[in-house]
Amino acid sequence: MSAKDQITVPTPPRRNPWRERLLDNWRVFHQNPLGRIGLILLVVFAVMAMVSVVPPLIDPMYHPMTGVDPEVMQSSAPSWRHWLGTDFMGRDILSQLLAGTRVAFMVGVSAAFMSIALGVSVGMVSGYLGGWTDIILMRLSEIIMVMPTLLVVLMLAALFGKLGIWTIVLMIAFFRWPGVARVIRAQTLSLKGRPFIDAARVAGASHTRIVFRHIMPNVLPLAFLYMTFRVTGAIIIEAALAFLGFGDPGTVSWGMMLQWVWKTGHMFQAPWWLLPPGLCISLLTLSFYMLGRAMDEVLDPRLRDQSR
Amino acid sequence: MTRYVINRLVQIVVILFMILTILFVLFRLAPGDPVARMVDPNMTPEDAARLIAQLGLDLPIWRQYLTYLGNCLTGNFGHSFHYGLPVLEIIGQRLPNTILLFSTGVLLSAVAGIAWGKLAAWNKGKATDLWLTVASLITHTLFLPWLALLLIWVFGYKLDWFPINGMISDEVWLDPDSGVLLKAWDVAYHMILPLGTLFIMHFGAYLLVMRSSMLETLKEDYIITARAKGLTEKAIRNHHAAPNAWLPVVTSVGLSLAFSINGGALTETVFSWPGIGRELVFAVSQNDYPLAQASFLLVASVVLISNLVVDVLYAYLDPRIRY
Amino acid sequence: MALLEVNHLSIGYQTAKGLLRAVDDVSFAVDAGQSLGLVGESGCGKTTIGMALMGLLPPNGSIVGGNVVLDGQDLSGLDEADLRQRRWRDIAMIFQAAMNALNPVQRVGEQIVEAILTHKPELEREEALHQVEGLYQLVGLPVGRMHDFPHQYSGGMKQRAVIAMALALNPKVIIADEPTTALDVIVQDQILKETKELQKEFNIAIIFISHDISIVSEVCEMIGVMYAGQMVERGTTREVLGQPRHPYTQALLNSFPALGGPRRPLRPIPGEPPLLIGRRFGCRFCDRCPVPASSCKLEPPELVQVGETHFVRCDNV
Repeated sequence: MSAKDQITVPTPPRRNPWRERLLDNWRVFHQNPLGRIGLILLVVFAVMAMVSVVPPLIDPMYHPMTGVDPEVMQSSAPSWRHWLGTDFMGRDILSQLLAGTRVAFMVGVSAAFMSIALGVSVGMVSGYLGGWTDIILMRLSEIIMVMPTLLVVLMLAALFGKLGIWTIVLMIAFFRWPGVARVIRAQTLSLKGRPFIDAARVAGASHTRIVFRHIMPNVLPLAFLYMTFRVTGAIIIEAALAFLGFGDPGTVSWGMMLQWVWKTGHMFQAPWWLLPPGLCISLLTLSFYMLGRAMDEVLDPRLRDQSR
Repeated sequence: MTRYVINRLVQIVVILFMILTILFVLFRLAPGDPVARMVDPNMTPEDAARLIAQLGLDLPIWRQYLTYLGNCLTGNFGHSFHYGLPVLEIIGQRLPNTILLFSTGVLLSAVAGIAWGKLAAWNKGKATDLWLTVASLITHTLFLPWLALLLIWVFGYKLDWFPINGMISDEVWLDPDSGVLLKAWDVAYHMILPLGTLFIMHFGAYLLVMRSSMLETLKEDYIITARAKGLTEKAIRNHHAAPNAWLPVVTSVGLSLAFSINGGALTETVFSWPGIGRELVFAVSQNDYPLAQASFLLVASVVLISNLVVDVLYAYLDPRIRY
Repeated sequence: MALLEVNHLSIGYQTAKGLLRAVDDVSFAVDAGQSLGLVGESGCGKTTIGMALMGLLPPNGSIVGGNVVLDGQDLSGLDEADLRQRRWRDIAMIFQAAMNALNPVQRVGEQIVEAILTHKPELEREEALHQVEGLYQLVGLPVGRMHDFPHQYSGGMKQRAVIAMALALNPKVIIADEPTTALDVIVQDQILKETKELQKEFNIAIIFISHDISIVSEVCEMIGVMYAGQMVERGTTREVLGQPRHPYTQALLNSFPALGGPRRPLRPIPGEPPLLIGRRFGCRFCDRCPVPASSCKLEPPELVQVGETHFVRCDNV
């Protein structure tokens, strides 16, 4: 240290502590095999989602929903023309699979984002205000938490008929916030007692300002962690709904592909059709899950294995 | 303890009442004629009129609500369109099947998850640990219906080892000579694949929780005490570490019950297991609203009561908790 | 030959930064019925010595030099199974009960029964339970509370239970690691007195580990002062307290109020103990020593005999 001071090396510009921390976290994250595998898988899926627009451009018969190969018109095994074969109507399975990736990402990320936003708001308000607000919100969250989301959404489908994809996303978001809210509430409660919150209050900051400027930045990393787990949940619920035949009829999702192979009785004859969608759902949820666990270790230094 | 259980039961009743109210409101808000949703179109006009009167659908809205609550309280959920039978009768038949499959599945996977999690933590960093952890990570995130279809494809179709749907075989149950044992065996035989599905899906979560909880517990001071007392490693693991480590697992069983019951419904549907979950899915797809509503209420009650059971079990395992 | 002899014991921990020598060339001996106090700041290696005597060093720790001889038998030569047999039967330990030393989900009496039955498998459970009743009476616990769980006990009761557990197999040596630290002064005083009586009654050797030299001086006939892994001064309590020769001992005595002694200003010791990783030269206390000599930084001081049983590791005596 002192030697460095004596030599007249131009001192590097002071680095942003946030960036420093991020880089630090990234290093820990990167060393984690779970995180690395999860990230690689995720990139593969992201590429698949982006590529999904390509097949219909090559030939309309590759459109996942409306494109039917006039020469096939039925389920066929993989070939040069259809790398993963065709479904019962002669539609290309690979294009369906790619389109399904896009839907899965969309559903997963948007539902997770909304449920996290809701959960963070409820958690912060509940923890910060306390009193009756807290009691009522937490009771509500307890009730919603024990409800099986899939069956609740199913019940809503019974009432309102077939649900559009965005309604499904909204429903998933609405029923998946309590877990996050409870964690954020606990975090807020512990932050509330810290001196810097008192200091802000003494300095005359409004409640809104304290919540958004002082508490929120501190709970966001945790919220982000929960988001990866919520993505997993949302993807699975949407896929399960579609599998049961309650998906949005206007989209092609992996769950729907599985429903088709199951309902049209092709599962014993067409493994090329049965295997890919399920494998994709499982791998995508696995990658988000691994990402979450790796982030968990980054955010919680207690979990870090010192001896390794 | 008794007071606590009574308290919780009252809470459960309140929650069910809230669910009923929400369903009532949504039912009126939903597009379409409420009468058409509750009354089977195939009924004779007289029967329909009687049912409408019974359900109070011709009354002002608040009297409808009271009639509805009264009907639900007395178990009168209306007639199923599809079966043409009182709903209560149908779900009464389905409930034991669901409880049999679901509780066996949760119990088996929890027991195995705890045992293997213990093993993984005890062998931390070794091959056993690695394999168990990786296996549970992968199985835990499988898509359940897909797993079920794969099991059917491999073990039911290719290998032809197990029946792929239903709960009983007619030739066994219609034969007056089959004894109870044979019938039980028949059910167990049908249950293997659905149970396997639930098991593969669920043991991983419990294993991972047990593993990390066990690792935390092994750092506690009473483990050093146990070691100082000269206990064998096995005694330390089974009598001191494990009984403390499985407390968080019990909590996680409680928290994941809702998730498990989703899986239960999917499993029942794929394997045509005659349970409440499959009935709910079926009723929704058939627009059989009375049946769907009753099935849903029953599933909700099952979840709420299972949660209570888990909390009581926790209190039993942890002497520090006294309600 | 003394009951327990520790000869030039050195203990190292393998860490990411290299070998940490937590204990370096420590020797002492204790006879039946005698008590030795090990005093020093946290991290000075006193607990590590206790754990090494029990054969309970963590996986990354090991004895790198010297040995421990109990009743003429070298403990470091024993394999794990033999060691396990001797634990608690020959050397028992009184843990700090406030630190969760009792299993929270097992009944307290049961935890003592377990210790008895592990070493005397031929006993009936009833007999073991009967013995536990006797132990409860011995340490002044109500026998009726045997079947309670630890959380139902007060701090003092837990401490007594831990003492009862240590006495369960009539050990030759008991290691008491900060046994009364978390208790209030009155309970602390009672328990110390009772422990002393029990020790005399059963003729047990006690090694008393504490950071508090005033407590140790009340209970023990001999004192060993530890600093940075080394024993810097050792002797009878009278010798060490009467004529403290090492500057660290003197500083330690000045930093605690003496019970019943004359009022005097307390002086904290400036600075912190050194890190114990890597090679080091000279005296370890040098940086904090009020009277350092120029030679101190170069040569490690040897243990010098200054009285009949009084040894000091300092060149300035």
